[in-house]
Amino acid sequence: MIVLIFIIQIAMLLCLIPYVSVSTAQNVSEKEINKYCLSCHQKKGSVKKFLEGDPFSVYINPQAFEKSVHRSLTCTECHQEFSDKNHPDRVFRNKLQYSIKESQKCLQCHPKRVIRTRPVHEEIFKKEKQGGATVCTHCHSPHAGTRITGGTVSTSEELYCMKCHSKDNTMKFTAGKTISTKVNVDSIRNSVHRNIGCSDCHFNFTAEDHPRRRFRAEREYRLSSFEICRRCHNDKYSQVSNSIHYSMISSGKLNAPTCVDCHGGHEITTAGRSRISMVKTCEKCHSKPYELYAKSVHGSALLSKNNKDTPVCVDCHSSHSIKAASASDFHDNIPQNCGICHADKKLMGKYGLSTDVVKTYLSDFHGVTLELHRKEGQKLNKKSSQIAVCTDCHGSHEIMPYSGVDMQIIKSRLLKRCQTCHAEATENFPDAWLSHYKPSFAATPVLFIIEWFYKILLVIIVLGLLFQILLDIWRHIRNR
Amino acid sequence: MTSPEQIDNMGNIKRFNAYRIIEHYALIILFVILALTGLPQKFYFLKISQSILVLFGGIDNARVIHHFAAIFFTILIVQHILANFIGIVFLQWRPSMLIAYKDFHDSVHNVRYCLGLVEQPAMCGRYTYKEKGIYWLTLTGGLQMMLTGFVLWFPITVTNYIHGQVIPIAKTIHSSEAMLLFLLIVTWHIYDSVFSPDVFPLNKSIFTGYITKKQMQKLHPLELLRQKEDAQEGEEKTET
Repeated sequence: MIVLIFIIQIAMLLCLIPYVSVSTAQNVSEKEINKYCLSCHQKKGSVKKFLEGDPFSVYINPQAFEKSVHRSLTCTECHQEFSDKNHPDRVFRNKLQYSIKESQKCLQCHPKRVIRTRPVHEEIFKKEKQGGATVCTHCHSPHAGTRITGGTVSTSEELYCMKCHSKDNTMKFTAGKTISTKVNVDSIRNSVHRNIGCSDCHFNFTAEDHPRRRFRAEREYRLSSFEICRRCHNDKYSQVSNSIHYSMISSGKLNAPTCVDCHGGHEITTAGRSRISMVKTCEKCHSKPYELYAKSVHGSALLSKNNKDTPVCVDCHSSHSIKAASASDFHDNIPQNCGICHADKKLMGKYGLSTDVVKTYLSDFHGVTLELHRKEGQKLNKKSSQIAVCTDCHGSHEIMPYSGVDMQIIKSRLLKRCQTCHAEATENFPDAWLSHYKPSFAATPVLFIIEWFYKILLVIIVLGLLFQILLDIWRHIRNR
Repeated sequence: MTSPEQIDNMGNIKRFNAYRIIEHYALIILFVILALTGLPQKFYFLKISQSILVLFGGIDNARVIHHFAAIFFTILIVQHILANFIGIVFLQWRPSMLIAYKDFHDSVHNVRYCLGLVEQPAMCGRYTYKEKGIYWLTLTGGLQMMLTGFVLWFPITVTNYIHGQVIPIAKTIHSSEAMLLFLLIVTWHIYDSVFSPDVFPLNKSIFTGYITKKQMQKLHPLELLRQKEDAQEGEEKTET
């Protein structure tokens, strides 16, 4: 019995030996332990092998470690099973198994409740719930990790962000839908924004902070792009804020386009992209006008011949400051809009079109009244009444060439147009219109003769009167 | 004014009765309103035109005023023609405004006089050839303005009956004639009645109804002569 007790005591003492020896070793070499470990681990080429055969370098860069956040720690504070006396030979199936095991040690100092405060970690914990493992070392280097605040975590912001955003992660909206947060890095490199960093646009996001935002639905998230883009493109933002699209959004119609809907996000290219693609952008929402446009004289020239002279949507409607087509200031500006091309002699000359169309319109009833309304509108603060402009007779998106169409057909169509405003107009009424041409002897002889008669008469009368007055004054001077 | 009683205390001779004075006042007012609301439409591109139209409350208001003034102008012209037609045909008014061969002769004579080729100016009657000229140009011009103005005011109604090209024709005539009348009034008539050394600072006869004997002698010597003869004969005639 006594012998048994002695053996047990001896055994207990033997069990204590390692602890005693370790504590003795720590006491002796606490300051020197890192050097001691590095004496082997700073040698390049030290490789271990996992069971599955993958090699694993045990090399530690002492310079990087000295700069790292963990420089004040000793090796054994993390690698507790190792000491100058004890270096267990552990066996792992592969690197993942090893990493999972080692990551548990991080949690001793970085508890989950603290890690959770960073939304960027949320994805990791989500996976953990689904049976995944937390592997800190996938992102953070334990021996070379610098402070996140003010430190450079990665060689570039792009690489840092793309660590996660190159993967098929998702973000979830409160309404339930999820979208991928994967970013195609090539699309950024080909975009106009290739020289700016992620956080220049995603300005709330930094290496130290990844705020958790809540959006009810994807549309709300897209709308937030206004605030991103305006930081650099404030001029465009202020134009947009006066546009029909913005006022639609303000009134709750959230499907109206925001910056990224037309320009795209990461893949944004220069404004001078193909004119066809510009038209196609508008088509995404405005498919009916597009169909009409595609068949029109303008649209067919663009789409079939890629004619760069023809107007695309934004040439008439403008882009950022786009107004409702029914808005009086848009409507009243149509003759000027059409005039940009149709009063351009060089451009119209290419197609054998007359530039008199704009002049004759502007000097006729509709043009004069419209012009006066426009000027008065500013002074009298009055809204313009709807005076017929180019599109009211010619149509807008569906505009067709008149050449080759029988004059009688044109007139019968014109009468219908006239009747939309002048309900009681008869078939004689459209003859009042001179087909946008100045009066000529061949087309309108009576008018032509009368015009010239008055031109000559006015000159004769004015000269005659002046002659009379001068003669009269001369007589009085002579009589004195 | 054809009798000696029609001479006031100052020795001025009566030239126009109240009817003619009122007619002239009405014509001045309507002419000014029509010109102010009409010409800015012709010269719509000038800044001053826009300022004038704003004074009237905008082009729409200006057109309403123009139309109202046109109605009164039409009444004025129509009553003038009717009154004078009835007066001359039935009441034996003297058609002193009719243009005669003498008027052409007078005008040529006065040009020769101004150039120093003859010693004395032409002897004019109740109305000088200049006054007749402006009267007939205004009257015929006014009639044209009425007709073409009607076409422009009611284009739909008019094109129910006539070819549509009547509208641009009416527009050309209306706007050219307006310019003609405007120039006629502001140059010839204003010079003749205001700035001419014969009448300066103003020929007031159409406002007061009386003309000084001196002016009568100078401008209308034949009329003065006729009045004297009439007075001698003791006849009474109604002037036109």
